[in-house]
Order: sequence, then structure tokens, then C-alpha cells
Amino acid sequence: MRAFPELTLAALVATVACGGRGAGGRASLAYYETYDPRSLDPALSTDVPTGEMVTLVFDGLTRFDPDGNLGPGLADRWSVNRDGRRYVFHLRPGVKFHDGTPLTAADVRQSLVRVLAPATRGGRPWPLYPIAGAEDYAAGRAGDVTGIRTLGDTAVAFELTQPLAIFPKFLAMPVASVVPAPPPAELGQRPVGTGPWRFVAWQHDDYLLFARNPRYWEGPPAADTLAVRIIPEPLTRAAEFEAGRLSVVEVPFGETARWRRAHPAWLLEKPALRVVYVALNNRRGPLRDVRVRQAINAAVNVPELLASVYGGRGILARGAIPPGLAGSDTGRRGYDYDPAEAKRLLAAAGYGGGIDLQLWRAAANVELSRVAQAIQAQLEPVGVRVELVERDASSQREAARKGETDMVILDWWADYPDADNFLYPLFYSGSFGPGGNYAFYSDPVTDSLILRARRTTDDARRTDLYRRIDERVFRAAPWLYLWFPKDLWARRPDVAGWDIPVIFNGQRWTRARVASH
Amino acid sequence: MIRLVGRRLLGTLPTLLGVLVVAFLLLNVAPGDPVAAMVGERADAATIARLRAELRLDDPLPARFGHYVWGIVRGDLGRSYITARPIAQDLKERFPKTAELALAAMTLAALAGITLGVLSAVRPGGAFDRIAMLLSYLGVSFPVYWVGLLLILVFAVALRWLPPSGSGGLAYLVLPALTLGMRSIAFLGRMTRAAMLDVLSSDFIRTARAKGLGSRAVILRHGFRNALIPVITVLGLDTGNYLTGSILTETIFGWPGLGRYVLSAIEKRDLPAIQGSILFMSVVFVLVNLVTDLLYAKADPRITYD
Repeated sequence: MRAFPELTLAALVATVACGGRGAGGRASLAYYETYDPRSLDPALSTDVPTGEMVTLVFDGLTRFDPDGNLGPGLADRWSVNRDGRRYVFHLRPGVKFHDGTPLTAADVRQSLVRVLAPATRGGRPWPLYPIAGAEDYAAGRAGDVTGIRTLGDTAVAFELTQPLAIFPKFLAMPVASVVPAPPPAELGQRPVGTGPWRFVAWQHDDYLLFARNPRYWEGPPAADTLAVRIIPEPLTRAAEFEAGRLSVVEVPFGETARWRRAHPAWLLEKPALRVVYVALNNRRGPLRDVRVRQAINAAVNVPELLASVYGGRGILARGAIPPGLAGSDTGRRGYDYDPAEAKRLLAAAGYGGGIDLQLWRAAANVELSRVAQAIQAQLEPVGVRVELVERDASSQREAARKGETDMVILDWWADYPDADNFLYPLFYSGSFGPGGNYAFYSDPVTDSLILRARRTTDDARRTDLYRRIDERVFRAAPWLYLWFPKDLWARRPDVAGWDIPVIFNGQRWTRARVASH
Repeated sequence: MIRLVGRRLLGTLPTLLGVLVVAFLLLNVAPGDPVAAMVGERADAATIARLRAELRLDDPLPARFGHYVWGIVRGDLGRSYITARPIAQDLKERFPKTAELALAAMTLAALAGITLGVLSAVRPGGAFDRIAMLLSYLGVSFPVYWVGLLLILVFAVALRWLPPSGSGGLAYLVLPALTLGMRSIAFLGRMTRAAMLDVLSSDFIRTARAKGLGSRAVILRHGFRNALIPVITVLGLDTGNYLTGSILTETIFGWPGLGRYVLSAIEKRDLPAIQGSILFMSVVFVLVNLVTDLLYAKADPRITYD
């Protein structure tokens, strides 16, 4: 059994290399992850590679498309009652798991209960916390989750603790995928789902192999197989792509200019739901003073950094909500580059003699490390003396979560395409540290506005609130605002039907195909 | 011989226990929280506290160490915090890949390095010697990372003779083995040359030549055999190193071996995976050293261990 998948990979790679015609006439596709996924058990999907792979094999009740729009998944429709607290999801009829078992409402309920169960040790129960009784069950204080009820075999009702307009988006996260009940042994290694791709093989740290699910409810994928290689080194990935052995690749930063020149026809570019920023610890030393934080924003020439150090691959951030999400405002008046103003602000705050701050960076993130170095150089002339502290990502994260960093350069990836995902975790005071608020920004008015937006069911009013919150926080300068990255990918000229997803679990590879010659 | 091996193996137990203690202590005082890697970029404090309790991370250190050692005594290396897979199974999957690469690199190194060294020593200062020694100088100096990427660019992207990365048949082995073995080739070449020159200038070689033996016999039978000891030392040390995984080479070539496994375990503070790997690597290293010592006795009858 062990030898078989290896042969398959070799054959696959060969078919991709010579035009991608598989044995069945349809083609094979090859994608990659930068490291081995944790597991293929949806309950363990707490990082991007795991989430992407889970998305291939499993479905949730709802899902995102490559542009980040919410759409129906295993539920073909849903309704919410007038007070916004009760949702009913109706299952799409006729859906079967890969082993042929029909999907029922009980599978849905037990999948979600399983994510909350302490014994699962998954680490990401929070998307389900809005459900009544979920937190108590996760904490071991209750024997069951009262807020999830099956309505016959074909519908599931959710009772929420309070109205939450974005709840259907929470259900599109990989962790809320539906698995068979009871789950097969070794679900994490040999998953069985309802998704577009059936699991075939997994050689750890080497590759995963998937085959099309011919009975997929949306119609089977256009290609026969999808190989997912595990390739940690960016330049090696680029080489694999250039050798014709990967269907798509993210263009390495160092190669941006060369590829733009050499292969313009291969390139795809799209703004990502992601923000790059420096969290300024609002509870630490001189950074407690809003004038100091504003001075830092005025002292750094962000457009120049973006153009030079970051290869121009981004859009200036004048707020935390990326363009493409309702509530984003890229036309907002920003902090213009003005070193004189920065000095004036520092002096006004009583730091005319300058200040000393540490800026933490993670060694493995080469691009952000370089940006940090440039920031250090630009802060020096206005009297902000920066010591760069370089650690591995894990140590950096721990220090930042404990509030031990003055400044730390980070990026934030969307879990769900909604402005809430860039406000509630990043600026709500209840999200300090591990929750995402690394700036330890705390403002009662912001807090109440964020919570009010969550309860607001009218989309237009919610969007208006987001814009107000973003504006209010921006003026308080809890961050050094940098930019929203634009993803730059290359796609093999013979590959069609694949587009960069704005959110990591928005691409299922169902339409991707290798064009016939 | 069997008694010797038994005695030596018993003698390694304190070493291994020391490795366990040091690894455990270092890992537990180092910053970085394993639960942080489990929960990802956004988590609630209650979940973190619960997971810490489940994994007994809040127990006192001696209790945790006792628990860990008790597991090892029963042959259980535990499960990864991150993937929930048994560590023993992870190692069982990675080690053959690492061994495959190590074996290929060492074979290459032994063949190429020793050949270069012997041929250089035959006519020291000659054209072959000078070129070989220049190459070996470069081979020792070039960074592995650079060489690996260069090989990929030339042989996989430009010429398309070999796959850039991954594992599979023999074709997948060539570039990583060359990258990994390059330093050994260069070093072995220099080592062999020095040892050969040393031996070839000694009295018994003069005697052998005087009694009319052909130059091939003198160099190979008398000279090379006596130059073997330092060569075996280098081979043994490098083999030990390679068998415990090579982070750079495995990373560049996407090779699914021990080196990458340990690296990602360290990045995620996956304590059971790191400890299990360190223990496993120590055992491998100790065994390789033992084999090396036994080979000394084979190469030089004057060396006995009784």
C-alpha cells in the first residue's frame, strides 16, 4: 500500500509536466502547501494549510467563493427569525459522504458538538460560541449543547445567545465542516467528507493526493486528481512551477520584478483580506500617549516602504478593514509622512529628548523583517531609537500576547470575510493578547460600538458602524498602519478556472482544469 | 565481540538519560507556548487554559518529567500536541527517508572523496592534485543553501534532467544527495590525501617499493589500508550527522526526513515531538559511533577493545 501512492505521485508529476493529460483524459492539477497540515480533521483546523486541505474534502453548511462571497453549502437555504437569534438551515437533499452514507441533520449537529468537546483538543471552539450553551459545554459545565437542534433529518436549528448577523459566515469556517457521525477512526489521517475531492493518500511532509468526487452535489471537479505537494522553500516552489510541475505558485518576493518582466501573462494579482501592521502596545511606556503613537505614524514613509521593501505588493492602509469588505475606507485622510510633525508631537508629549523602544520581528518572516529594519531607520531621525528584537515566531507570539513587546510587526489574515473579523479580534478589549488585540487597545466607546455592530442585523447600518469604528480607532493610532497586501500568483498558461481566493478557504479547485492543446 | 557491544550499549544508558534531562529542562525553560501553536492566531483564554490542563503543562516539572520517562520506559514516546499522531509513528515514517538520503550522500562522498584523495596523493603538487584541492576547498566553503538552489536551477529548471524537489525514485535522490554530500566529498578528499601522504612517506612503504611491488599494489594494499583510520573517523561522524537529519538540504529539496520534522516541531513548540526526536537521534548517533569503533578494529588489527 505504501508503494502505491509514491508511484501515483511520480505518474502525476509526469502528467503535469507533459501537458497535464491524465489517464482518464481529464487532467491532473498540482498545488502546494508550505508545511504539512496539522491533520485533516476539521476540528483541528487552526491554521491555513490545514484549513485549505479540509476545505477540499469537507463542506460546511455555508461557504465562501474565491471572491469572499458567502453562499450556500450543505444547506441550500436558511432563515433567521425576526429577533436575529434563531437560525434554521435546511440541508440540500441527496448529499452523500464519500463512503456513500447519506448526510443527515444528525451529522451536522454531532460535528459541531465534537468541535466543542474538550476531549477533541482542537483549539478552535470560538466560532461556535455564539450558540446557546456552547461555551458551557466546551468548559465541561454542561452535558450537551442546548442551542443546536435537529428538525427531522433535513434541517438544523440554532439558538444564539444574542443576535449575530455574521453567524452564517462563522459556519463557513473549516472548523465547522460536517463529518460523518460517528466519525471514522483516524478521521484526521483518512478523512471522509462530502466535499469535491476524495482523499487518496498522504505522505507526511511530502504530498497529499485527492481524486475528484464524481457525485459532488455541485457537479464533479473538472480535473481528475489534485496533488498537493509540501514544499517549504519559496525558491524551490518557484522552480517546481517553472519546471511545469505545479499548476499555480505564489510569486516569491525576491522574484517580483523579474517575473513581472519575464512572465506577465502568467500573473494574477488580487487584494487579499489581510493587513500588515505594527502593533504599538497602548499600555506600555511612552506608547500610552496617543501623540507618541501618532508621531510614529507620521515619522514613517509608508508609501516608500511599500514600493521599495515590499515590492509594491499592497494598498496603503488607512484603517484596519481591507478594501473589498463593507466598511472599508481607503480614501480616509491618513497620517502623511511628516517628520517635522512627528518631532512636534513627541515634544508636545514631553519626549523632546527622544524615546527608546523595542520592535519585535519574527526571523522566519523575511519580508516583514526587512520592513521592520526600514522602520527602525526611519524612526531614528525623529528621535525614536528602535532596538530590533528578533525571535522565532513562537517566542514572539508569546511575548506579544503577554504584552511584553513595545512594538511588534504582524499580519492578520481573515478567518471570515467581514469587517468584524478586523475589528472584534484586533481592537475589542475582550480580545487582549491571544484573542488578537496585540496593541492592548481599549476604549469603552469602541467596545460598545463593536458589540452593537455584531447585534445589528441591518447590513447598511452595520456597514456604517464599521466605518465609524475604523475611523475612531485610526485616530487613536493603536498601530503603525502599513498596508493591505495584494497577492501575486502565477498560473501555468494551460491552467484555467482557477483564481486567487481572497480568503484561504475560498478556493475548492472544482473549476480548475488543464486546457487541451 | 558480543560482550563488547553489550558493554558499550549499557554504557550509553547514562548518556541517553542525560540527553533526556537536558532536553526536557531546556525545552521547558525556553520561551514559546505549545498551546499557542495549537490554537492558532486567534483564541480565547479559557480554551488555552483548558488545553494546558489537558496536556498537564501546568503540572510541576518533576512530575511531568517522571510521567514522560515512565512513558518511554513503557515504549511510548507520546503523541504530538499539534497533529495528535503518535511520535513513534512519525519517526518511523521520517527515518527511512533520512536514511535513504544519508546513505546516498555517504556513498557518493566515500566514492568521490576517497578517489580524489588517493589520486591527489599519488602525485602531490601535480595538476590533478591542484585542481582537486581547489575544488575541495570550494566544496567546503560554499553554503549548502546556495549550492542546493543552484543545482535546482541548473539541472531541474534549465536542463530539466532531474526533478527540483520531492521524494520518489532515484532521480529525486541525485540533487539532494549531491548537496548534502558535497562537504563530505571535499573534506574526505583532503583527509584521505593527507593520510595517504603521511603513510606513503613511511619506512614500510619504502620497503615495499624496494622489494619490487608494483606502484598500484603499494598505494592500494599497503598505503590506502593504513590511511583508512582517519577516513573512517570522518565517514562515521558524517554518517551520524546525516542520519539524524539535515535541516537545510531537506528544506530546500522538500525531502520528508527527520530534519524538517524536528525543525517544524521546534517552531511549534511540539514538546513530545522534539523530545522524542532528540532521544531517537541520540540513539542513532551512539549506534553509529559504536559501529565506527568496531570498524577501526577491522581496519587496524592493532586496535582491540578487550
